Amino acid sequence: MINLAQKDVSHSLGKFLVTAMGVGLLLGIVIVMIGIYRGMIVEAKVLLDDIDADLWVVQESTLGPFAEASRINEDLKYTIRVIDGIKNAEAMTFQNIQLPSKPKPTRVVAVGYDPNGTFNPINPTRIIQGRALQRNHYEIVIADNAGFKLDDNILLGRDEYKVVGVTHGSVSSGGDPLVFISLKDAQELQFLYTNNRIRNDRARGMINNDAHMVNTIVAKIKPGYDVNSIANELRRFKHKAVFTQQEQNDLLSKNLIEKSSKQIGMFAVILIVVSTIIIALIIYTMTLEKMKEIAIMKLIGIPNSMIIKMVIQETILLGLLAFTFGSIFSHLTYDKFPKKVVLETPDSMALFVVILIASILASFIGVKKVVSADPATAIGG
Amino acid sequence: MSTRQSIKVENLTKRFTKGTEVVSIVENTSFSIDKGELVALVAPSGAGKTTLLMMIGCVENPTSGTIYLGEEKVYENKWLTKETRKIRREKIGFIFQAHYLIPFLTVLENITLVPQTNGVSKAESEKFAMELLEYFDIADKAHSLSSELSGGQNQRVAIARALANKPQIILADEPTAALDSQRSVAVVDMLKKIAKEQDVAIVMVTHDEAMLPLCDRILNIENKKVVDMKL
Repeated sequence: MINLAQKDVSHSLGKFLVTAMGVGLLLGIVIVMIGIYRGMIVEAKVLLDDIDADLWVVQESTLGPFAEASRINEDLKYTIRVIDGIKNAEAMTFQNIQLPSKPKPTRVVAVGYDPNGTFNPINPTRIIQGRALQRNHYEIVIADNAGFKLDDNILLGRDEYKVVGVTHGSVSSGGDPLVFISLKDAQELQFLYTNNRIRNDRARGMINNDAHMVNTIVAKIKPGYDVNSIANELRRFKHKAVFTQQEQNDLLSKNLIEKSSKQIGMFAVILIVVSTIIIALIIYTMTLEKMKEIAIMKLIGIPNSMIIKMVIQETILLGLLAFTFGSIFSHLTYDKFPKKVVLETPDSMALFVVILIASILASFIGVKKVVSADPATAIGG
Repeated sequence: MSTRQSIKVENLTKRFTKGTEVVSIVENTSFSIDKGELVALVAPSGAGKTTLLMMIGCVENPTSGTIYLGEEKVYENKWLTKETRKIRREKIGFIFQAHYLIPFLTVLENITLVPQTNGVSKAESEKFAMELLEYFDIADKAHSLSSELSGGQNQRVAIARALANKPQIILADEPTAALDSQRSVAVVDMLKKIAKEQDVAIVMVTHDEAMLPLCDRILNIENKKVVDMKL
């Protein structure tokens, strides 16, 4: 039996491929947008996973240190260390800063930690050059996309820092590169004011005691202890907000990136709908172009089922080709996007199924046209 | 019904509404056409030639009457089968003003499309199609597209397509309208030869009076009746 769709597509192959490429670009953008969403989730967890704490102790009634600002005293770490079940606890700071890179400043998140402490937020596998911090002052480890090289000197606040290590893939929950400095440097950078400000505050009777504040105390639990019980104890007696690693994870994924992910999801859905409409319009136009032939086929006795099969097969083929082009486009371009794009096979398979269903739905408009075609129009010129 | 009769129409009426007015094309008209006859259907423009052709071809619904195609009564105040398209596919061949070949199919595929839809095997349908193409002297064009053929060659392919399902009846709607007089005569001669050799009834709508002497009979629509006309 002659396959009408195959013959029709072969006859106008170039036009069909260009059309599929056009729709494919749209689907490629859908794939990339889903990849951006996945990238956001991955990036949101990078720092949490690298720090690998069981508990995050922050300022009472806040969702710190990432979702909200949090300030607590550094010496709380000593109190926490002696609680039964706590293995170790360290103070950390997190702050957004602008690095004076060329040609324009780079926004980064600076993580302050004790280089001699028991928590190392730098995942050793991410260090591609140099080393982690070893001294308490004027060293910085920097992400490779922050615009600096090993041994560069960077002026931050009042002091100059030397790049002693370069990492790859270290990003904050917002996707900004991470830099790591010692806790002492971070405290100065965040809480030590300029001399003028200090003089002004003193004249007002204010004394700056913030130099020993931090944003969070992270703690690890000894094996056999229940993390939730210890978290509850800390909440009750120390008047602090405490989050487990899972709760911090949820905070980041729900509070911080939920809106962004919904936004991206909306765009992806709209683009899929637009793609479906475009496929439907293309098939409708292709069917309209063939109305005379369809009328003739109906007149000479070709059953509707055979003509409808042609329309549906062409629509599905268009959808599949567009999906293929979209996949190729997304795989060729995903690493060129400023935000991390994570392309996952299950997402592609889900989109493939959606496009398949959308293509079948889109073909209905062409099928309706076929069914309504009057064979009598073939006669009489 | 005589065994020679290929088309028999009894008391056929066709009316349709145009605005508020009821227009009648034919009223209680009867006629028959025998196998092997080439019949010209003539009438002034708008008299209903094409509508009559479409009723015989099971495309247009008559208002009332009876239509026999071969031995089979296909219409008696209603179609006696839901599958009018199957009747067309199996019993009727169509030739149009223009060739109207399917542009994305080759000559061979255009000719074998209907037989293959009828269940004839690819090999068998292609064998018969090649015989037809040889008969029309265009066998070398079997794998060409219609866009690669001349007007005359395309019209010959269209006639071959109409014959491919071995029809009892061929309905031709002004098949010479797009051709010059020399080619028109050649096409009508060919149709006459086919009618005789294949024992097929051919009804040809035409405005070209020069073609009428080549036909076996001439039918005219006069006063809403189909009548035999003498030259």
